[in-house]
Amino acid sequence: MSMVQVGEGAVRLSVTSTSLEGVADSVTILFEELFAVLESLRERLVARFADGPPAAASVVRLVEPHARELLRRPVVLGGGFVAARDALADRPLYLAWWQGESQQLLGQSEAPVSGDPLDYTRREWFRVPERTGRRHVTGPYVDYVCTDEYVVTSTAPVLVAGRMVGVVGVDTLVETLEETLLPVLGPAGATVVNDHGRVLASADHRLDAGTVLDLTACSKWAQCAALPLRVLLA
Amino acid sequence: VTRSLRHVSRARSAIFAPLGDQGRAVRVEQRLAEAIRSGLLADGERLPSEPELAAMLGVATVTAREALVSLRAQGLLTTTRGRGGGSFVCRPRHPDEALLGARLAAMSRVELRDRATVYRVILAGCAELAATYAEAPEAAELRDLLLDPDVDDVARWRHADAELYLSLAALTQSARMTREVVRLEADFGVLLRLPLTDPSFRASTGARHRALVEAVAAHEQHAARRAVHDQVDEALALLVERRAALRS
Repeated sequence: MSMVQVGEGAVRLSVTSTSLEGVADSVTILFEELFAVLESLRERLVARFADGPPAAASVVRLVEPHARELLRRPVVLGGGFVAARDALADRPLYLAWWQGESQQLLGQSEAPVSGDPLDYTRREWFRVPERTGRRHVTGPYVDYVCTDEYVVTSTAPVLVAGRMVGVVGVDTLVETLEETLLPVLGPAGATVVNDHGRVLASADHRLDAGTVLDLTACSKWAQCAALPLRVLLA
Repeated sequence: VTRSLRHVSRARSAIFAPLGDQGRAVRVEQRLAEAIRSGLLADGERLPSEPELAAMLGVATVTAREALVSLRAQGLLTTTRGRGGGSFVCRPRHPDEALLGARLAAMSRVELRDRATVYRVILAGCAELAATYAEAPEAAELRDLLLDPDVDDVARWRHADAELYLSLAALTQSARMTREVVRLEADFGVLLRLPLTDPSFRASTGARHRALVEAVAAHEQHAARRAVHDQVDEALALLVERRAALRS
């Protein structure tokens, strides 16, 4: 039995299990808690989009309190809603997304160097929920377009009449995730990896976040529910 | 030991060498221009007033003013008058060809090579680590950035080239490395992409982009490094030529 609390204060994870399944439960609960906040935002957005494409300003007003709520959590670096192309009445691409210590609104993002409007629709955190219609966890990866940080991005599609109008999501710093997960991973000597075998955090000192493991060579592992994450003994 | 000491003392004496007022204005201008181009000074950021700036930099107000006039002429600053007015940073979107040409012409050949060396070593290192770490989905994202050889829009080639190198940096899994490369691209990468106006350079660039992406996908670190080296070598050779033409 394991328990995770992702409250306003420091994150506490207490573990009484050293089984991989128990560790996978803890990891799942950490992400599920974030997805729960995103779920209530998703429902509000579905209702707003039901009356036709809204303007960016109206979406900003709707998303902002939810984003601020997400940002109160220490594990959260940024969060909000990212619109699909032409889903909004007045902006082809738009990020109602708040991030960082200053909790700044991203709005229309620009590609670094060229300054061109940024087309984020090909990024994994957007593309995968669009293709599968399901939640996704992307990373760890260096996000050089929005945060300039090493992050994990959790996203869920916002579907209106069978079409994805955007994704709701949250960025987590890998650093913070590692600190949060290490007490859980430690007793079991476990490692959390994504579906590509890339390490999010590990109790093994030789396995830094970002390292890729060969999943076919690993026989003992536990899936983190429906998330594209698993816990294993490397 | 003697040589390094001599080098150090030469570098130190350069720091403390007296500057004429004219030299100072150029130095102030270059320092601010570099900070604006590399994004250290954010787009839209307000600069301190002329007297404040002069006091901070330890130069006469007239010297600071002279530097600001020049930055305004280069489009790197805009100035508004009245309440809430002042000088605001104007980060160039698509750096103007003529301005880049002027920067290139003003650079010594030694400086050009010096900067290209830093760029080459860092980007080749990124290519090597990207080839170590990248997995199939990331290789597929890199392939998405490749342009069709018939594309003849120079801006698209410049964009694709910058995007490819930034993606390589991100694949090192290091946020610091990526931020460093963003800075390098804005500062020197834009110069290295000047010769993409040349169709034969676009063709060889396209071929090397492909070789680079396939090397990364196949975890061939050496081939990935090679592709970056060759790209920087050819770009530098063309830049040296272009610089000579601009100065003649």
